[in-house]
Amino acid sequence: MSRSVRYGASPLLASPTPVWRSKFIVAAIALGFAVLAGRAAYVQVLGNEFYQRQGEVRFARTLELPASRGRIMDRHGLVLAYNVPAPSIWAIPEDVNATPAQLAQLARLMEVPLPELQKKLADEDKTFVWLKRQVSEPVARQIAELGLKGIYERKGYKRQYPDGEAAAHVVGFANVENLGQEGVELTFEKQLSGRAGSRRVIKDRLGRVVEDVREQVPPVDGQDLQLSIDSKVQFFAYQKLRDAVIEHKAAAGSVVVLDAQSGEVLALANYPSYTPDKRVNLSGAQLRNRALTDTFEPGSTMKPFAVTMAMDKGLVRSDSMIQTAPGRLTIGGATISDAHPQGLLSVAQVIQKSSNVGTVKLAMQLQPKEMWEGLAQAGFGQKPNIPFPGAVSGRLRPHKTWRPIEQATMSYGYGLSSSLFQLTHAYTVFARDGDLVPVSLLKTTEPVAGVRVFQDKNATAMRQMLQLVTQPGGTAQKAQTIGYSVGGKTGTTHKQEGKGYSAKKYRGFFVGLAPIENPRIVVGVMIDEPSNGRYYGGDVAAPVFAETVQQTLRMMGVPPDMAVKPQIVTNPVAESF
Amino acid sequence: MRLNLVLTLAVLGSAIYLVHVQYESRRLYVELEKAGAQARKLEIAHESLQAEKRAQATPLRVEKIAKETLQMRTVTPAITHYVTVKEGAKP
Repeated sequence: MSRSVRYGASPLLASPTPVWRSKFIVAAIALGFAVLAGRAAYVQVLGNEFYQRQGEVRFARTLELPASRGRIMDRHGLVLAYNVPAPSIWAIPEDVNATPAQLAQLARLMEVPLPELQKKLADEDKTFVWLKRQVSEPVARQIAELGLKGIYERKGYKRQYPDGEAAAHVVGFANVENLGQEGVELTFEKQLSGRAGSRRVIKDRLGRVVEDVREQVPPVDGQDLQLSIDSKVQFFAYQKLRDAVIEHKAAAGSVVVLDAQSGEVLALANYPSYTPDKRVNLSGAQLRNRALTDTFEPGSTMKPFAVTMAMDKGLVRSDSMIQTAPGRLTIGGATISDAHPQGLLSVAQVIQKSSNVGTVKLAMQLQPKEMWEGLAQAGFGQKPNIPFPGAVSGRLRPHKTWRPIEQATMSYGYGLSSSLFQLTHAYTVFARDGDLVPVSLLKTTEPVAGVRVFQDKNATAMRQMLQLVTQPGGTAQKAQTIGYSVGGKTGTTHKQEGKGYSAKKYRGFFVGLAPIENPRIVVGVMIDEPSNGRYYGGDVAAPVFAETVQQTLRMMGVPPDMAVKPQIVTNPVAESF
Repeated sequence: MRLNLVLTLAVLGSAIYLVHVQYESRRLYVELEKAGAQARKLEIAHESLQAEKRAQATPLRVEKIAKETLQMRTVTPAITHYVTVKEGAKP
C-alpha cells in the first residue's frame, strides 16, 4: 500500500526562497574553483621555479667525489707512498646511549683512553665530534658491528709509507687531511693532490641515489710521481749511515748518492730519522733533512777545487813540485799550518796528503774574482736547483770583501759553508770531466747537458789525484772497495760554536766518486760529532762511502774495473752487510 | 564522442606507463649505483692487497729474512763470476 504525500503542496513547506540565494551559491562555488585554478596556475606556472627548488632541496644532494692522492714511486716503480682506506669515527653525543661496557669496548677498539672518550661524549650540546681519525678498516668494521646508536664512520684514506724511516726525509709525509707536510709530499703537493669532483643526485627516502640531476664533474686523481731515488740504494745507504752513527756515538749523519751521468739523486738519507706512519713526539732533530738544510765548513774537501782552478789557469800540472816545508805559512799576520808537516810535494801529493800549506800556496796565485767565480760555478753559495723545502744556499761571500787570509783559508774550506748536498753535487764536476750537471729528484730519461766549470783534462787529472787519497799514503784508505776503483777527499773540521771553534766537537766527512775511469756515482757522507775516539773523515765517513759505493755499483750492474782475487766460499765468513 | 573516449584512455594509459618507466629507471639506477660501489670496493681491496704485497717486500724485511732466516750474505765482486757476453750472442 502506498501513500504519497505531496510535500510541495504543503503550505508549511512552501518556502519563499529568493532566487538570488541559489545564484549566490553557484557564484561562491565558481569563485572557489577560480581560486583553485589561480593557485594551480601560480604553482605550476608563475611560482614553478620556487617550488621545484624547494623540492630539490628535499631530495637532491651534491655528492663529493674525492680524488685519490697520487702515489710516489722510486725509479724502478716500487711504491714509496700510497693510500689505504682509513675511516674516521665520529659521533653525535646526544644520540649515544651506550652501556659502560660497550663504551669500554669502543675505547679499546679505537685505542683511546676511556676517560677521554667519555669526556668527548659528555658534551651534549655538540652535534658532531670526532672520536678517532683514521682507524684501520678491520677496526672500523668491528666498531660497526657493535651497532651503537649515534656512532658513525666517515670514509677516508691515509698515506702509508712502506720504506719507513729509510726514505722518510725524501718522501716526507701528508697529514690527516691528506695535505703534504714535508719532503716530496709537500714539494709536489699540487701534482699529487688532484681535484675532487662532484655530482648532483636525487635520493629517495631510503637514501638511495635514484637519478643524476646533471652531468657529473669527474674527480681528477693526483698524478703518480716517479722519483729518481732507488729504494734499494736508499735503504742501504741509510742502514750503513745509521750503523756508523751508532758505532761512533755521533749526533747525526747524512749521506747523498748522485748519479754522475744524469744528475739524478739516487739516495738521500739522514740519521736520526723517523717513521712517517707513526708521527708521535717527533723532534726537530729527527725531522731535519740535514743533507740539505745544515751547512758546515767543508774543510779539506774544498782543496780539489782550489787546486784544479790553479791547474786550469796553467799555473801548475799534477806533477809540478811545491815546497810545503816547514809546514807553516804566514799570511797577513795569521799562520796556516799542516797537521803533519811535509817537505817537497807534487801537486798530486798535496791532495793526497791534504796539505793546507801546499793548497794555500796555489790558491794565493789566483785572483779573488777568479776563485769566487770557480766556486760559484761549482754551486757554492748558490741554492741547489732542487725543489725541496728548506734547501739552503750555504755561504760564499762576495770576492770584493775577501782579505788575503780569508782567500787562503777558503782554499782549504774554512770561511765558507755548504750543505752536504751542495758539496756532493759540486764533486760531479770531477766525475764528469769538468762540467756540473743539474740535479734532479724526479726520474729523467733525456740526456742532460752540464755547465762547464773546469777543463776536461784537469778534471780527469784531479780524479787520478782523488784516487791517490784512497791508496796507501792517502788519508782515506778505508774508502777502498772490492773490485771498484774509487777516489775522493776526506774532510774533518772543528764544529763552530758561538764565535769560535769547539775544541772537542768535530765533523768528519768524505766525498768521492767511482769508478775512477768512468765515474757513475758521486757519494757524500757526513758524520756529525763522532765521539767514540775516532773523528777523522777518513775513519768515520770513508767506510760508509765504501760500502755504499760497493753495493750501489753492484745494483746498477756496473762491472768491476779492478782485478779481484776470487774468494772461494768454503768457509762462509760472517760479513757485515 | 567515441574518439574522445579512445583518446582519453590512450592518455591515461600513456601516463601510467610513464610512471612505470620512471619507476623502472630509478630501480635500475639504484642497481647501477650498487654495482658501481661494489666495483670501487673491489678496486680499493685490490689496491690494499697490492700495498700489502709491497709492504712484505720492503728492502728492510727482505734483508732481514735473507740474513737471519736464510743465512745469506751480500754479494761482492770477490765471490762473483763475471761472464762476458760475446757480440751478437743472445743474452
